[in-house]
Amino acid sequence: MAPNKKMILRADVNRIYDDEYRQRQQAKKEKLFSRPTRQRKMKNAKWFSIGMGIDLPFCLIILILLITGTIMMFSASYAFAYYTQGDSYAYLKRQLLFIALGIAAMAVMSFFNYNKLHKIAPFVLGFAYAALVLVLILPSAEGGVKRWIPLGIFNIQSSEIAKFAVILFFAHWASKYYKKMQLPKYSVLPGLTIFGSIAALLFFEPHYSGIVIIGILTVIMLYVGGMKTKYLLIGGAILLGVVFLLAVTGKLSYAMGRLDGWGQALTASRGTEEWDTTWQTRNSLYAIGSGGLWGLGLGQSRQKYLYLPEPQNDFIFAIVVEELGLIGATIILLIFALLIWRGITLSLRAKDKFGKLLGIGLTSQIGVQVVLNILVITDWLPNTGISLPFFSYGGSSLIMLLAQMGIVLSISRTANIEKQ
Amino acid sequence: MAENKQPDNKPAGAKKRAGKGPNQRLRQRSAILIMIILILGFGAALSRLAILTLVQGRELQERAVGQQLADTTLTAKRGTIYDANGSVLAESASVWQVVMAPVNFENDQQREAAARGLSDILGLEYENVLEKTKQKSYYSVVKRKVEVEQRDRVIELISQLYEQYGCDGVIDLLDDYKRYYPHDELASCVIGFTGADEQGLEGVEWQYDDYLSGTPGRIVTAKNAQGTDMPFQYEQNIASKDGNNIYVTIDSNIQAICEKYMAQGIADNNVLNRGVCIAMDVNTGAIKAMVTANGYNLNDPYTLPADVQEEIDRLPEKEQAAAESEALSAMWRNKAVADTYMPGSVFKMCTASMALEEGKVNDNSSFMCGGSMVVEDKEIHCHALGGHGGQTFVEAICNSCNPAFIQIGQLVGLQKFRDYYKGFGFADKSGIDLPGESDDQFWEEGTMSTVDFAVASFGQNFSITPIQMITACAAVANGGYVLQPYVVSKITDAQGNVVKTVEKKVKRQVISKATSDKMNEILGYNTETAGATAGYVAGYKVAGKTGTSEKIGVTEKKSTFEEDYIASFCGYAPADDPQIAMLVFFDTPSGGAYYGSQVSSPVFINIMTEVLPYLEIKTNYSEEDLQYLDASAGDYSGLTIEEATAAAEKDGFTVTVKGGGEKVVSQIPAVSSKVSAGGNIVLYTDDESREETVMVPSFVELTAPEANMLAAEYGLNISFKGAVASGGTCSSQDLAEGKEVSPGTVVTLTFAAASGGGFND
Repeated sequence: MAPNKKMILRADVNRIYDDEYRQRQQAKKEKLFSRPTRQRKMKNAKWFSIGMGIDLPFCLIILILLITGTIMMFSASYAFAYYTQGDSYAYLKRQLLFIALGIAAMAVMSFFNYNKLHKIAPFVLGFAYAALVLVLILPSAEGGVKRWIPLGIFNIQSSEIAKFAVILFFAHWASKYYKKMQLPKYSVLPGLTIFGSIAALLFFEPHYSGIVIIGILTVIMLYVGGMKTKYLLIGGAILLGVVFLLAVTGKLSYAMGRLDGWGQALTASRGTEEWDTTWQTRNSLYAIGSGGLWGLGLGQSRQKYLYLPEPQNDFIFAIVVEELGLIGATIILLIFALLIWRGITLSLRAKDKFGKLLGIGLTSQIGVQVVLNILVITDWLPNTGISLPFFSYGGSSLIMLLAQMGIVLSISRTANIEKQ
Repeated sequence: MAENKQPDNKPAGAKKRAGKGPNQRLRQRSAILIMIILILGFGAALSRLAILTLVQGRELQERAVGQQLADTTLTAKRGTIYDANGSVLAESASVWQVVMAPVNFENDQQREAAARGLSDILGLEYENVLEKTKQKSYYSVVKRKVEVEQRDRVIELISQLYEQYGCDGVIDLLDDYKRYYPHDELASCVIGFTGADEQGLEGVEWQYDDYLSGTPGRIVTAKNAQGTDMPFQYEQNIASKDGNNIYVTIDSNIQAICEKYMAQGIADNNVLNRGVCIAMDVNTGAIKAMVTANGYNLNDPYTLPADVQEEIDRLPEKEQAAAESEALSAMWRNKAVADTYMPGSVFKMCTASMALEEGKVNDNSSFMCGGSMVVEDKEIHCHALGGHGGQTFVEAICNSCNPAFIQIGQLVGLQKFRDYYKGFGFADKSGIDLPGESDDQFWEEGTMSTVDFAVASFGQNFSITPIQMITACAAVANGGYVLQPYVVSKITDAQGNVVKTVEKKVKRQVISKATSDKMNEILGYNTETAGATAGYVAGYKVAGKTGTSEKIGVTEKKSTFEEDYIASFCGYAPADDPQIAMLVFFDTPSGGAYYGSQVSSPVFINIMTEVLPYLEIKTNYSEEDLQYLDASAGDYSGLTIEEATAAAEKDGFTVTVKGGGEKVVSQIPAVSSKVSAGGNIVLYTDDESREETVMVPSFVELTAPEANMLAAEYGLNISFKGAVASGGTCSSQDLAEGKEVSPGTVVTLTFAAASGGGFND
């Protein structure tokens, strides 16, 4: 249908003019009053801000876990502390100090504009590499294992830094190249490069559980970051092959020493070397089994009386089950689940892709550590040293953890989520 | 969740820029990530925890409790074994065990010091102890059953180690118990012994282990891995319950008498395969004594007799271990219940009882013996080759005539004979409460030929256990009641409350009272007429029967005789009111004689001579006996020679005075010693003359008057034992020939049948 020129002429001219005018006016208005564009926002954003407020439920869950964890850490450690240091409160005192420092770090990080991390992500990764190399240079601690960088009052594990660096870097990378992530050049290649190099460094420490956790975190970040599932599967297959190859060449000697007793904790016979290597795992199983459904009651663990070595560290959850039973363990796991759920959902509502990915990564790290820790203490995975977040004793990792939670809280400030 | 409801109208700008696709993919992938972590990861963790707590929980908890309480088990004290008089036969005493927690050693210096100290004190190899100190364990037993002195030295060592090396919490002492047998060998075959963990291994210790062992308990507090107390009470706390005490029917006095004479019998007759003696209360079935001679030291049950050990040491090294364990089990074997033997003529008391009970014979029945008898086509010989000729039933028993008993058996009949065999309890185990009882070996129903029956009538070609024989003998004596033999009469708990008492148990009556009385009369007559050969005990009416059985079927002959024999004697006393029955048998004597009348009768007499007075059984001396009866020496010291001589002569003794003093300072035999009437008392008036000695001559094979004359010649005194009055000759003397003794010393002579005499079995 041909347009009616007469009709068009006057009215349309007016209307087109009006529209253009209005648009112009609107643009002027926006420039003056509306929110700045992404670029400008980035440029002008403050380093610290309250924003829309932190996510209170997430913060609350963290505090609940922290309190529960500290109580249990004290319960698990006091006998060991008494016998080894002569002071039942030795571990509690230090842990409370770390918690204070950690909460301060968390608070600071929650006000910190996480977007500033975007820029420094590559530098953090570089710092992590430096730390990983540093521990290899430093004289080794007992047992020939090089994991710790001494920092005066406490030591820090280089792998802790590496875990954070990997999450941060991939959040940065994937948000920057989100649309290209489907191409292997932007997903598989950096993933392999970074994981491979870190794994190689960790291998010389050696710290196999670190390799496993960083591997899983890399995969999670790439997957959430938009890598094609196909490559994930191929990557998984290759990884298996590499591990197999290492096992065959016998270079996993340190871990193999521990793997030897894997699953043999209950069948090893007294007096054998196996009995000694599986001592910790066996006593962990005894503790868990002793707990039963309802547990022996808070503080009533028997296995912590030197049967379970270092009950305040990786195997703390065994004492938790012994004292609080399956019921208590389930409740604690539910709280952890809630934390992960809330952390991921709030991250999804973050303003930008970087926030989303960073939040998901940091939250998943907790989930991965919880699951691996419990599988280790129940002898379904070899005893390789994975701590339980919020529960295990340890200065650097606790402060790191709380600082990371602070970042998630910072993300929550920009997240469009109902905040109670 | 609440936040899911309102996202749509939100970041419109961001949505436009990023596009809907990638954002949704992020949501999807996050959802999958949450599911993987929460459902897969947490699900696996939770289900694993559920398996461990709910399914394996009980087992794991038990193991945990086991390790928390492992070194705190309380040993229960094993019950005591008492004899019939309440004196202790076996008792557990507190000792200690030395344990070590080598994991607490801090350096090799401590290890070496501890190992050296412990090996010194406990008599262990230094290298072995050092090896133990290097283990990485919290609990290692260094030595068990450590006595007080050693314990004290270990305590000293512990403080020494602490002071010198700062070594703490390594060596510890735990309570332990050790079994003591105050009488060493006494009743070894009945009592038995225990192993390293106090578990009963033989005899009553084994049979009543459940009663004796008690229930071990657990200590109140749980322990941490270093073995110190945990700061809370453990709820499942059980105190140990000490074992029950056991009273056996064995009277250790009777037992000691039996063992003394059994050992002598074995030595005198060079018995190669041990001997058995059982004394049974005829009316209850209680075993008063049970000897398997020679026994072994219960405090040291793993040491073989020296000669056996030497023999084993001569074997090739490979065979030694096997030979040693074989020798040990042979030594521990209780022959009285575990071995079977052919009863021989002793069994004739059963055959005779049957015939009497069935009314097939009476006092007037007569039997012919021509030295042998042909049954079917087999000629069976009598021990008297010339034959006994015509004899009455009683004479046949006294002659122990085989052909007569074949005829008596035939009168009873094969089926009846088998019924009585069963009735006397030979077909079943006696059921005595001791381990290892054997079954008899008898012909199966329908396989017993006429010849078999003929030899069975006089106790050959079938095997029974000694305990079965004595039980049957008791039935013959006590009115026909087959009793349940037993060695344990009472069980009490640690506080003395009676847990169980054993009552006399009659299984059945196999013969009538009248038959039993008749048998007592006949067997009593047998003993009286045959004298020492049939167990005559002066002053008592004894009934009994000898037996000599060939060991048929023995593969390797051991004795010096043509064949290996078992010499036995089974009798009871008093014949008119039977109280105690006794079976004595020696397996394979290889000395001068092998007949029951020569080997076993004297032992029976010796034992009974001491046991019957001990049981306070009324004496009944014949006039002849009185001549040889002992008198008691009075106290003559302190008197003048004249006074003493008068007093001694008044007591019926002659007197010899030695020395130049005026008053009697000492005398031999000592006050209250038993000396035969008319003996010679030597009175000493000074101490120098006591140094004078005489040499003991050999009295063996002398008759009583001859012995008296010889003793007078040497200035020695005699005490007579056994059937002196029945024309016996001296078979043994308690002081060895050639021994230097003071004049007047009493030599106890035992009289038995002269070898080569008319043995009647």
